[in-house]
Amino acid sequence: MKKIGFFILGFILFLGSFSIAMAQQTPTICAVHPFTGRFAFAGIEGSAAQQDVVDMANEAGGINGKKIQYYWADGEYKDDVGIAAFKRLQAQYNPQIMFGQSTGMTKALGPEIKTRYKVLYSAYTMTSEAANPKENPYLFLAAPTYAEQFGVLLKYIVKEKPGANVAFFYSDTEFGREPIAAGREMCKKMGLKLVAEEVSQVGGVDITTQVLDMKAKKVDYCIFQGYVSNPIASVIKQSKDYGLNAKFMGTFWSTELQLLKELGTFADEYIGVSAYSFYYQEDLPMMKKIREWTQKKYPKVEYRSQSYMENFATVLLFVECFKRADKMKGGFTGDNLVKALQSLKNFDVGGLMPPVTIKNNSIPVGRVYRGNSKTVRFDPISDWISLD
Amino acid sequence: MRCGDYKENYIKDEEIFQSRFVKFWLALFFIFLIVFPFIANAHMLYVSNIIGFAVIGAVGLNLLTGFTGQISLGHAAFVGVGAYASAILITRLGISFWLSIPLAGLVSALAGMIIGIPSLRVKGLYLCIATLAAQFIFGFIFVHWESMTKGITGIHIPPPQIGGFHFTTEKEFYWITLVFVVLGVGYARNLIRSKMGRAFVAIRDRDLAAEIMGIDLFRYKLSAFAISSFYAGVSGALWVSFLKVVTPDHFPFTLCIQYLAMVIVGGLGSVLGSVFGAIFMTLIPEVLNVLAENAKNYMPGMEHLLIPFKDVVFGFLIVSFLIFEPRGLAEIWNRIKKFFTLWPFSY
Repeated sequence: MKKIGFFILGFILFLGSFSIAMAQQTPTICAVHPFTGRFAFAGIEGSAAQQDVVDMANEAGGINGKKIQYYWADGEYKDDVGIAAFKRLQAQYNPQIMFGQSTGMTKALGPEIKTRYKVLYSAYTMTSEAANPKENPYLFLAAPTYAEQFGVLLKYIVKEKPGANVAFFYSDTEFGREPIAAGREMCKKMGLKLVAEEVSQVGGVDITTQVLDMKAKKVDYCIFQGYVSNPIASVIKQSKDYGLNAKFMGTFWSTELQLLKELGTFADEYIGVSAYSFYYQEDLPMMKKIREWTQKKYPKVEYRSQSYMENFATVLLFVECFKRADKMKGGFTGDNLVKALQSLKNFDVGGLMPPVTIKNNSIPVGRVYRGNSKTVRFDPISDWISLD
Repeated sequence: MRCGDYKENYIKDEEIFQSRFVKFWLALFFIFLIVFPFIANAHMLYVSNIIGFAVIGAVGLNLLTGFTGQISLGHAAFVGVGAYASAILITRLGISFWLSIPLAGLVSALAGMIIGIPSLRVKGLYLCIATLAAQFIFGFIFVHWESMTKGITGIHIPPPQIGGFHFTTEKEFYWITLVFVVLGVGYARNLIRSKMGRAFVAIRDRDLAAEIMGIDLFRYKLSAFAISSFYAGVSGALWVSFLKVVTPDHFPFTLCIQYLAMVIVGGLGSVLGSVFGAIFMTLIPEVLNVLAENAKNYMPGMEHLLIPFKDVVFGFLIVSFLIFEPRGLAEIWNRIKKFFTLWPFSY
């Protein structure tokens, strides 16, 4: 009787371990989105984008017949809450891929992801720390870093007006300061004169001093960093009042239609860089697919933002990494997913971005767009610019 | 109903935990705290550690605001001073974590004493604004003194170690947090029973009368700032060693408001209130997050309503507690205890 009991127990444990092994081989993505808080505009779009890619992939058969599981939590754009949500999702679902909500969360979790969790990780960040395969092999960006975006804009400036006077206008935050040191170096290398660095609060409206300073220093190009809208609109409008004839540029998070709406007739003055195409670009197969899906699933939604595109691109790459890792020995492990990621060369994403090649765990490519006050849209004014 | 509870000497009368019943439940609570890491998962242990840091910081603020009556809006700055002091001592001077914690507390205490000097001339809202200046001054220093703080990049901190054993996981760090919480709460509880604690209360209740009675306002107000900032510094040092990174973004102004909320919701002038307030302000949002996430799984498409709604629920809970008991959670606890002291009799 005892022997039968042990046999039954052993069989149950065997089944249990088998089911655990099966569970671990279910492709699972977990994400922490800033669904509430000051980055909610990005989190709401981002969570929808990631869910859409997973649903599309599952409709197309998943990963060789295995449905992708997707779970997410709200991080409130607070590091403590985000890290708690990360650990909760890890404990509950044991995912192979995670997505985080911020630069702060990424920096805090980086060492643990490397030594303990070993999951492929990306986030709502474009910090250079997340694109450092030697230090953080599991972290990557489906975008250029802020420094790389500065590089794209500076390359564009050099092409338009070599030796131009450039100003950096940035917020006094981590987001604002991140690419400035690299930007200074790039200006020197490209022969551009960095004549002014203006700092202001996010959302600040009292920027007269900065505008007058730029006028005195005869700035030709002003690059914004660390803002989503204000004070960009205030600077551009006030520059007309004070006779500052500079061209204004910004990086990813400010290259949004919301800023063009605030600029109104001054929208033509603004140039932005983005690694992604826009929702309304008719001639691209992936944008057409996104529009059809959105109209079918969310009939009231008229537009999808660049934050949506960033998250869409990231999860597209996640899905491709799952497919490649499934063919490797060991299946869906963090190391296999990293190898799969590194193997992406000229991967076609249907025009959402140029064919993707991962370099140093980022995609150092961008395109320059100019605002159009009549259509309230961004029009591309350059081809895809790659930083090698 | 408690009966036969009589004391035969003053020492027994002055004990904090006066009956066997209380000592028994306290012992049981400590046993639970010791067993907890073996039954909890990584997420629960993470939250427990965060609660521990919050308890230390809240106890410190309550000593200053609740017991001494000095309103401070610079508490997050002192948390930051302790955090950066600890990070710099560990990474630049090679000082061990165990020594860096008290040193960080001392650095923070010194900063607190300097910021506390205006308290000798101003009170109430004016002192509030003076301490608010500390928040902005230290925030500026954290960002711009790049040679020391590495600016926005922050400082990465190695985990604490004893010999070859590294405290890298939440479970391992829990023991460190537990020790510091017990020491911090124990010291605070005894401090308020001492001469210094009574001086603090006298200053809070009527500083002019206290001065006439012979209490040195200068000495005791600065002591209150120093002790409060010491606690804040220790809390910050532990927190960033746990996170293994410190950046200026960790210490926004909203952290000051959060600590004040812990102290007010928990109960001003009560060490136990600080503990309750810290647990409430840390745990309840986490519980609401979990409930909202589970609710959205059952009601897909409603996440736009459900997830932001948790902030409404949290605000409603805070307001409700304060309406029903303005003296905080500690007073609710006292009322429950009083009820059961006489139960089943009503008087």
